[in-house]
Amino acid sequence: MVIDFEDQDEALKQEALARGVPNVRWVHASRHVPGPEDVDTLIEPMLEALTRPLTEKEKESGRYEPPWQRVLFEGTLDEAQTFYQQTKVIPRPLNAPIAIYTDGLPIIVPTEERVAEMLKGTSRKPGEVITYQSDGRGTMMDRHLGGEPSKKGDVVQFQPQNWTATVEKVAINAVMAGCKPEHLPVVLAIAESGCGTSTTVFSNQWVCVSGPIVKEIGMNCGTSMLNPGNPANAAIGRAYQLMAINLGGAISGVSRMSSIGSPFNMGGVCFAENIDGLPPGWKGLNEEHGFKKDESVVMARITEGGIEGAQFSPGGYRAFQKSGHGGIARRLDVKGIPGPHNWLEYLVPGLWANREGTRTFIMVPEMAQHLYEIGFKSKEEVCEWIWKKSFIPLKEHKNYSWPDLTTDGWMGIEKTSGKHWKELPDDYMVPAAGDKPSDNCIIVGGGEEEVCLEISAGPAGGFSSVNSIDAWR
Amino acid sequence: MAEKDKVYKCLNPVGIQMPVNTFPLAPRIDSLDGKTIHLSICGEPDITIPLEKRLKSDYSNVNWTQKKTYGINPVRLSDEEMKTTDGVVLGVAW
Repeated sequence: MVIDFEDQDEALKQEALARGVPNVRWVHASRHVPGPEDVDTLIEPMLEALTRPLTEKEKESGRYEPPWQRVLFEGTLDEAQTFYQQTKVIPRPLNAPIAIYTDGLPIIVPTEERVAEMLKGTSRKPGEVITYQSDGRGTMMDRHLGGEPSKKGDVVQFQPQNWTATVEKVAINAVMAGCKPEHLPVVLAIAESGCGTSTTVFSNQWVCVSGPIVKEIGMNCGTSMLNPGNPANAAIGRAYQLMAINLGGAISGVSRMSSIGSPFNMGGVCFAENIDGLPPGWKGLNEEHGFKKDESVVMARITEGGIEGAQFSPGGYRAFQKSGHGGIARRLDVKGIPGPHNWLEYLVPGLWANREGTRTFIMVPEMAQHLYEIGFKSKEEVCEWIWKKSFIPLKEHKNYSWPDLTTDGWMGIEKTSGKHWKELPDDYMVPAAGDKPSDNCIIVGGGEEEVCLEISAGPAGGFSSVNSIDAWR
Repeated sequence: MAEKDKVYKCLNPVGIQMPVNTFPLAPRIDSLDGKTIHLSICGEPDITIPLEKRLKSDYSNVNWTQKKTYGINPVRLSDEEMKTTDGVVLGVAW
């Protein structure tokens, strides 16, 4: 029998069915009541669940074969739009209607004709099942949660329901999102990530495209690349969310339990790396992850924290670098000395003030160039510098929330020393920015006003999957 | 026929759930006395620590075993442990 929180009932039922034990018994724990009082309530039902004789239904075995139909609806476009926008009221913990097939907005109706047109964007057959295109990639969730390494050809299971999909299914969702056929290889590569949506806390899903396809399909990797307006960025970002809903079964309040949710996921977020904006010698995301320089890839991420940035007032960064004036120069004690200076020094004190964890830094090309000019000849060198700056005494590390989880209740091994956490003195220095420098990530893109965004990515880098787009052309 | 009246076949965007073999629940035990009950804990210690204490003090005639992790994947029982365990409580409160 199982103990779980009451608001997780629907998720538990779905998981139990997927595991072949749809009749599993469970009792509720409380999110609010102190543990001893909670135990008073649940202990008797828990023991009773172990001893109460099975009902006839609980003794049943069989095979669950959900019905499947390729054509979901026949009618006019107006009727179809209404059909696809239907909602279902989800009881606790929402008590609100949630769209069944969409993100809540109208979609492009996926007629057979439109889907056939979309499929011209790939050489793959419509009925081909989505599989991993290389060894060891796994879905973003599999790898984070310690699942078995996947092999090329293994079927991708979409989270959270572990459903599978065909190329045609992905194309249907791409049509609904407003994609064009030339976007389809990107969407297929995103599908290879499994399109996860966990966790219960705070989960941002976003994707970043790198490589020649960025220009081919007209993506925006410059000014306002995270803002609305670019058709490729917008449609591909939306396709992630529609695939999460339709291919993964991620239904808010049922199997998508992020408590407040995230604006990242409202409409979807897709942007691109500005390869031309990289300083000399800095690798793009493609080369960083073992692909060729001329190969297009997409990085799909789930980051479990917030987004910070725009620490510099308009002109503040320029005053700092051009002539050594302003607040940044005063803080870094370079008043009157022209740059380039290491602007990361300005960010460091606040980066881990309230929360440890890795960061994805999205910086404009000029700021990357400044880092290059002061000696950082690669992204790796920048990440290593940031990581080393993150070291804090263990006593301070213990006062964060996440380490209780990431250290397995302090029962695990501290990775820089190889020793048990409990053996280490309070003044032992441990990194707050992940287990290793490469848990952090740097992306160059955006416009000419000097801005760096830092996306908190959780203690171990969050969930991440980088897949070849070219494999899906 | 006007364009707005044209009927289209519209395709299903929903993923494919593979057929699942379903199983009966494990037979229940007639009483707890003398049995080995395993606590598989991957839930929150605010609940599981007092639960473990209560079970061991109030039901001392039961052989309570436990494996715990702070992660979300339960620590699996070995084949040998499966043979000698009469019941399992999985705490997954998160």
